[in-house]
Amino acid sequence: MPLLRTIWGCDFRALPVFCVLCLSFPAWGGDQTASLQNRLAKQELLLAKTPSLYFIVYLKSKMIVLKSRGMILQEWKAQSIRAWGDAPPLGPLTLEKKSTLFPPKRTKIMPAADEEEAATFELDALELKDMPSRFTLFLSGGIRLHVRPKARGLFPRLGNIGHLLGWNLWVPLKNLSFRLRKKHFAAFDISLEKKEDGQAVYWALPEGIKGLVFPL
Amino acid sequence: MNKKKTARALVLLLAAVLVAVEAVAIIVAWPKQAAEAAAGAETNDQKAAARLDAETAALRKRIGALAPKAAHIIIDSARNTLTLKTGKEVRLQAVVSCGSGSILEEPGGKRTWIFDTPRGEFQVKSKVVDPTWVKPDWAFIEEGKEIPKKQEERLEAGVLGDYALGFGDGYFIHGTLYSRLLGRSVTHGCVRVGDKDLKAIFQAASIGTRIYIY
Repeated sequence: MPLLRTIWGCDFRALPVFCVLCLSFPAWGGDQTASLQNRLAKQELLLAKTPSLYFIVYLKSKMIVLKSRGMILQEWKAQSIRAWGDAPPLGPLTLEKKSTLFPPKRTKIMPAADEEEAATFELDALELKDMPSRFTLFLSGGIRLHVRPKARGLFPRLGNIGHLLGWNLWVPLKNLSFRLRKKHFAAFDISLEKKEDGQAVYWALPEGIKGLVFPL
Repeated sequence: MNKKKTARALVLLLAAVLVAVEAVAIIVAWPKQAAEAAAGAETNDQKAAARLDAETAALRKRIGALAPKAAHIIIDSARNTLTLKTGKEVRLQAVVSCGSGSILEEPGGKRTWIFDTPRGEFQVKSKVVDPTWVKPDWAFIEEGKEIPKKQEERLEAGVLGDYALGFGDGYFIHGTLYSRLLGRSVTHGCVRVGDKDLKAIFQAASIGTRIYIY
């Protein structure tokens, strides 16, 4: 501590507290499991009554589940889920936008000039492998889900350092700006086990899909 | 010397302000509890807790009752797989081909087609043996041909396999001549299945059988 206190002759006693605040794992407190489970069941029933697919993000269980009519179609286990900001609203949310650095591009089919050209076949499809594994889902009510795979290898780890800086410094500032404008804000950092899981989540959740984010 | 000191003081002041703002931001952003739930039922009371649990169990039962009990089809368009289930029992798993996701624009830009397999819950609306393909406009545009005026010029037999299950808006689960492409996303939105699997699915499905595509 003396070293921290005396850098440039200034008092930095608050710095360790600040660092602990930055690095500590945010958690949801309190035991409201029974009432939350009740609330979840009520909300899920509303979604399950419709013919549309829906998703549920279980924050404490670290799961993302795609469902229809109460039936699990696909589930993904997250390695970790961290949060900043307000508690998510305990009601249906809509996926308004998917944002990623390199969004997948659809191929344009050029009409064949003649029959010979029409007979040649080129496989140029948009497949699961073309989906990004690192992206942000913007849900209604100011909810953001930052999805990324667990970093393996040098470059992904370096990329993750940038992500951690952004997550621990930039996102709280963003929350502050939302708070000053009296807008709801909640951000979740979801780290998935495999790159393929992220790609599958991107594929499975189209814009417009409804879902629930619950602290269970 | 004085200028240096002032500059250093300014830098330190700026840094201190930034740290203070960041600290305030972090404190403000600290994850909040679900206040709505906290304000809800009081779980300390054992009777109230038991009532809440019973209500939750009843709700779960109602959700469970919405899932299909009869034969139903689940299609994973990302992995190009089809699963035929009765209740929770898996009766068949097959490799299929779903939509390519490609775009076709009509020359002149009047119409655009996106070749995705639709997602959501559907029902088998028609069952056809030895189906004949009624080629839609896009098929002619893609082949660079003129769109025919007569309906009979649109008919093409033998390309959809032995059976077809229609699930609305011109989408079918049908057979294929290109079995080597099963497992790849190559279709115009329909779901192509291999001959043997198609026969089993056709026999198990009836009008109204639910299809879930994701």
